[in-house]
Amino acid sequence: MMRSVAARRSDRPKKVPVNRFIDLVLVVFLALFPLFAKTFQVEMMGRYIALSIFAVSLDLLWGYMGLLSLGHAVFFGIGGYMIGLCYQIQHGLPSFMTREKITQLPWFYLPLKNPALAVILGIAIAALMGALLGFFVFSSKIKGVFFTIITLALATMFYQFIITEQKYTNGFNGLQNIRRFAVGSGAPLTKRQYYYVILAVGVAVFLFCIWFTKSRVGKVAVSIRENEERLRYFGYKTSHYKILILTISCAMAGLAGALYAPATSSITPVDIGVSASTAVVVWIAVGGRGNLTGAVIGTLLINWAQSLLSDKFANVWQLILGVVLLLIIFFIPDGIIGQLVKLQKRCGKQTPHTEKVALQESSTAESEVLS
Amino acid sequence: MSVFLSQLSNGLNQSAVLLIATLGLLIIFGMMGVINMAHGQMIMIGGFCAFIFTKMFRAPFLLAVLLSFCFAAALGAAIELTVIKRLYEKPTETILATYAISVIITEGARMIWPLSQNVAMPLPGVLKLGTVSIPIYNIFMVAMAVVLLVMTVMLFKKTKIGRKISAITQNREMTECLGINTSAIDTFTFSYGAGLAGIAGCVLAPMVGVSYNMGSSYLTDSFLTVVLGGVQSMVGAALSSVLIGEGRTLLAGILNDTWGMILVYFAIIVLVRFRPEGLFAKERR
Repeated sequence: MMRSVAARRSDRPKKVPVNRFIDLVLVVFLALFPLFAKTFQVEMMGRYIALSIFAVSLDLLWGYMGLLSLGHAVFFGIGGYMIGLCYQIQHGLPSFMTREKITQLPWFYLPLKNPALAVILGIAIAALMGALLGFFVFSSKIKGVFFTIITLALATMFYQFIITEQKYTNGFNGLQNIRRFAVGSGAPLTKRQYYYVILAVGVAVFLFCIWFTKSRVGKVAVSIRENEERLRYFGYKTSHYKILILTISCAMAGLAGALYAPATSSITPVDIGVSASTAVVVWIAVGGRGNLTGAVIGTLLINWAQSLLSDKFANVWQLILGVVLLLIIFFIPDGIIGQLVKLQKRCGKQTPHTEKVALQESSTAESEVLS
Repeated sequence: MSVFLSQLSNGLNQSAVLLIATLGLLIIFGMMGVINMAHGQMIMIGGFCAFIFTKMFRAPFLLAVLLSFCFAAALGAAIELTVIKRLYEKPTETILATYAISVIITEGARMIWPLSQNVAMPLPGVLKLGTVSIPIYNIFMVAMAVVLLVMTVMLFKKTKIGRKISAITQNREMTECLGINTSAIDTFTFSYGAGLAGIAGCVLAPMVGVSYNMGSSYLTDSFLTVVLGGVQSMVGAALSSVLIGEGRTLLAGILNDTWGMILVYFAIIVLVRFRPEGLFAKERR
């Protein structure tokens, strides 16, 4: 009797996973946050929501499809630098160009004059680069490890490129005074207004990701993570799916960068190199990968902890983070949210034990027959 | 012409530096398949050993090299036994764990020595060949690279333990069935790789100075060298480090350092795309 109930239950649509409730609580909390927080806290939270979008974009690629990129900050940086350059060239030539004796604005900077166009360009160029990278890498049967190493090399290259091309990018100093989307000579958005802009975009992106991971393509992504060979035998062109998901992920990272740069009013090479890329990987690992919520929770948790603790423990903060990461890998490898989802599944199951025993018995019987 | 020759000799020095820095990773990543993000920090450990033994204890430089090997190898064994051993066959967790280790080592070093230190040049002086002048230490570096390479090849080809390591890389289950303690061999291999990285840090110290982030710049370089040479080939690593070192130096002469690096990296990525098994590997894996 119990068995039949359990079997019927599995035919029904599955229970809502626990992390969706966490999502709801989080959205409500973030929407009410500016009502009781100080302005500088609102500004910080806005920054972290932008970083959360970035983390979710990597989670699509790594958590769902199993491809770890150690250079994802490159695409984040493209978005950030586009909007940054846009506000550098609003009033004639920026100082870092005049110092290098450039008298005429280079032709390729002209479209960046308009902030909206700059954001669109940032997303488009990031997506295009992602598509090119995917097309180049995934059309051969390169292993996941090689993809990781190639992205690591890309991050190093991009970082050095930005630093060297001083006359176009202001090199190591980065770009400052990025205004919160002031159009023309109008006033920029206030910090609280801009916070809600970021939050709205963040929620939209998150809903898109939920829909996308539930869609057929999202399911194929998970199958690629689990067993790509078998999927290929079924006649799926896995490389096409990989390219598509990498492109979407890179476009989202570009969008996150374009939102982040005005929130901090600056973007520097530190935000786009290998260290920034590994930082995001750590956030996702702590929160839990492959369920979207984990990426957001991990990002918000670690960044808040960092802002609270780095004053008191300036020297030890990184050390604490390293130790915490090690502990998480050993004790809850699925991350915080991943562990919760697992617990829920364990409570939901009625009789996993008896099924296992039955399976074992049948397999031993089979082996006896075969021998 | 003389400019070209001096660039060639510089390139050879760069190649030697690259090969020395890569050897440790060639063992750990190439032979064992462990993606070690803490490779740069192992190099740094060697650098600090050089600083401690030559500056504080006034030990001769070659003794410092030996001691840095021992220290880094001991650290490598400790890391393998406590962390890596539980994470074989889990590449993602390995990346995260080794990254965590790298952060811990870096921050520990930063707390003790926040500023960068200098190590005295053990072999000062310049050799003049016509119009080209080569620092003596560069010649020592090239010799060191060759010695380390030959030593490692000998270890793998001529000794019993080396044969066991090769057997494990070929077929782990079968090796275990033959009664070989694969777990102990893993620890030995990992610690040998870490020791080589320590030597790298020690001989690099007089050239680049010692600081808590001295090794991090070698991480990407080493990975790309291993991948280009073919992950299980010693000679491949040597050839690819010569290619990369010379290529970067010659391109840097024409353009500048960064563009030399970017173009060489790009070339490597393209080559790896068309030959994932590396340029010099004998067989497709």
